[in-house]
Amino acid sequence: MSDTPTSAPAGRIVVDGLPIPYETGDTVAVAIMRSGGHPKHGGTVCLGGDCPNCSAIVDGVPYVRTCQTAATPGLMVRRHPAVGNPSFPAVAQPDITRTPVTDHVSVSRASADIVVIGSGPSGVAAATSASADGHSVMVLDAHDGNEVVAIYGGPTVIVRRPEGMLHVHALRVVVATGAAEIHPVCPGNNLRGIVTARAAEQLHAAGINLGNAVSIGNAPVGVPCTPITGIIVRFEGSGSVSAVVTVGDDDVEVTTPCTTAIVGLGLAPRDMLSRMSGGLPVGLVGQAAEKFALPPCPTAGTVCPCSRVEVEDLEGVWARGFHELELVKRASLCGTGTCQGGVCGPHLRAFVAHHSGAEPEMFTARPATRQITLAEASADTYTDVFRRSPLHDEHLALGGQLDRFGGWWRPWNYGNHEVEYWAVREAVSLGDVSTLGKLVVSGPDAVELLERLYPTTVADIKPGRSRYVLLLNERGHLIDDGMICRETDSRFVLTFTSGGAANAEMWVRDWAETWGLQVHILDRTMSLAAINVTGPLAATLLQRVGLVDPPKFLQHRHDTVAGVPCHVMRLSFTGEASFELHHAADRSVELWRALMEAGRDLGIKPHGLQALFGLRLEKGHVIVGMDSELDSTPRRLDMDWAVKMDKPDFLGKTALVRTASLPDHRRLFGFTMEGRAPTEGSPIWSDGNVVGHVASSFTSPLLGHAVMLGWLKHTPFPERVQIDGREASVAQPPFYDPKGRRARA
Amino acid sequence: MLALDTLHGIRVVASPSALDAASWPDNTTVLRLAPDDVFVIGATIEHAAVIATADADAIIVAESGFVGCWLHNDALAEVATHIEWHIPTHRPAFAQGYVAGVPAKLWLTDDRALLLCASPYAHDLSERLKGSA
Repeated sequence: MSDTPTSAPAGRIVVDGLPIPYETGDTVAVAIMRSGGHPKHGGTVCLGGDCPNCSAIVDGVPYVRTCQTAATPGLMVRRHPAVGNPSFPAVAQPDITRTPVTDHVSVSRASADIVVIGSGPSGVAAATSASADGHSVMVLDAHDGNEVVAIYGGPTVIVRRPEGMLHVHALRVVVATGAAEIHPVCPGNNLRGIVTARAAEQLHAAGINLGNAVSIGNAPVGVPCTPITGIIVRFEGSGSVSAVVTVGDDDVEVTTPCTTAIVGLGLAPRDMLSRMSGGLPVGLVGQAAEKFALPPCPTAGTVCPCSRVEVEDLEGVWARGFHELELVKRASLCGTGTCQGGVCGPHLRAFVAHHSGAEPEMFTARPATRQITLAEASADTYTDVFRRSPLHDEHLALGGQLDRFGGWWRPWNYGNHEVEYWAVREAVSLGDVSTLGKLVVSGPDAVELLERLYPTTVADIKPGRSRYVLLLNERGHLIDDGMICRETDSRFVLTFTSGGAANAEMWVRDWAETWGLQVHILDRTMSLAAINVTGPLAATLLQRVGLVDPPKFLQHRHDTVAGVPCHVMRLSFTGEASFELHHAADRSVELWRALMEAGRDLGIKPHGLQALFGLRLEKGHVIVGMDSELDSTPRRLDMDWAVKMDKPDFLGKTALVRTASLPDHRRLFGFTMEGRAPTEGSPIWSDGNVVGHVASSFTSPLLGHAVMLGWLKHTPFPERVQIDGREASVAQPPFYDPKGRRARA
Repeated sequence: MLALDTLHGIRVVASPSALDAASWPDNTTVLRLAPDDVFVIGATIEHAAVIATADADAIIVAESGFVGCWLHNDALAEVATHIEWHIPTHRPAFAQGYVAGVPAKLWLTDDRALLLCASPYAHDLSERLKGSA
């Protein structure tokens, strides 16, 4: 196959480092074949965009179908390796603290009543008919630069264009994409020099001399070639085809020498877009809707050129008991490649039909029908947003190392978590707890709602007082925890964990509505910031900034701190006296700076989550989702004390009553161990068996050894275990200030 | 980059009928976030006295947790390229949904639109709409 010189080339592309001339109108594949090459390394070429046999790396993008890519000056083409897949380009380690930046691919949007994909005769007919019915119609065809690559829910038609992506919202989609040509499956079908009839017509029209060409089956129109009859047995040759061996009705093999073998073996519907649109208003017309006869069952050769699946692979899969089309596909990988069955589909169906006696439907297709880049696929999609507290820039200015926790950017530390730890234990420290969930509940049924929601008593909480609470689901499993602060007889402020706040809000609203209770609910999580002032000098600091009489333990009130109106809550998560200052988000920087300045001579430091996690672990406080599991009951967490089973009812009570008498083989325990803390998640061993794992661990600077919370999941629960190759003891938390005197000080 | 400024006002959660009956000063912008939830930009708590009377359990608080900016036609058209959902064509209209992947709200009037979001999202929204200023 080579060029018949006519005139000067229109330009040159570079293929595997060598310049290749092309003519006006050439695709990359045609230009390569004009130069006597093969766009891959062998295999039938269809030039219809249906197979992987011309895919190459074009300007750095792999899996580009070169038969659909116009040759342009200087285009850099690198053929895929003869064996294996193109390698991934090296990517520098991304900075996880920044939202990834990708190549920008613009997205435009359009809408139409009817989208017709394909502008052939059936597509034009469908469009004309829809227009006549008064519908707005959009016709999309790859030859016009509108390459439809997927149909999603809506339906939304995803189109790749030279200038970017187009998302078209339609009421109905008509797929008029025609039919693809069937490739031969037989020994030698990976040789160069095999083309389909349509490809031969294209090559001939482009002025390419096909040499000594023979045609089997439907002959190409107008292409000089020698027709031969019979069924293809194999192609012969070394690298390139040199002969076709056929067999006729007389079972006698006939060998016909050639340099090009043209195959016209029939058609298969090009219906992939329809097959990825189950349940959507997507229809097929024309050849895409036709039911063509299947080819003969393949007996040898490569069936799936994408995944290099041979007929013997299919037979092996079948012999192992995979007798459904989907199972054969998944077990053999036939059809899972880049053309999604464009080549192998008819043969795979023929194979299953032959062996099972029933003709199977073609399998479901997945977006995208064409290999698109990640930038194209992700165009107009965004990574999850991680919220920033109003103190974000303050943390950065103080050297904070921020990371993502519970949907927020939060300081992990400010350079040295032990310094922060000691500031909390010995002086005073600030923590940004703006991320906590904050819900206001008000109304005549507020008490009733909270009594039903929480497993603790609520009615006896006096205004100005607060209580720690667990939030359980109907199964009695812990889903969150926090505080209830009673403001008036009918108004409460609830707090939740940072990561659980959104779910907790839905939970509260859902149950209030379900029970038909008269309450108002306002989520203030993102409107209010909060600063935790903690440490033995916390009260001293607050007095300096105007809070003359800070609230007592588990009290709260509205007051002004450093000129900023705050809801001051006295509690403790760190084990030291702590005051949460909830305030308007736009006053947060002002308050933070005032506190830092006023506490300068007290040794004030901010603390991050790394210190906080250790501080609370010394107190044995559980972090929901870190120490608890999805089915953790209060009993398993050793938190029965937070549940009042004598209440008339609460969410989860029925389940807790039912399971109370059942044996339970799981429990969260405290552990201590000499030396440094093991990695969280470390297995816990007993008598040579893994009996649990470490949920949280911390090397306590104050205690001088490791403290942990961990799960034991086998009874009887051992008292001595091995963790990280060392002996560890079960120990009852809190590990620090067990009487809680410092928190109440 | 979009300059998103803090929007000061009040937030009122009360019975829908109480909110329906409320009247607000002319220089305020009233956003009905939900049937029982309104954000009134430019209002003060005193402006909600009528609601407090009609619904004794109403939650009425000062609100400064939203940021926003007014967009004129060209900027709105650019922002619209970051919106997958159908933008209402009638005016005035209030719409809520993702803008550039960020939970946001749009208050659309005849000649301009207020784009707003909760302040913790301000940075991302502004960054993602860099070209829309």
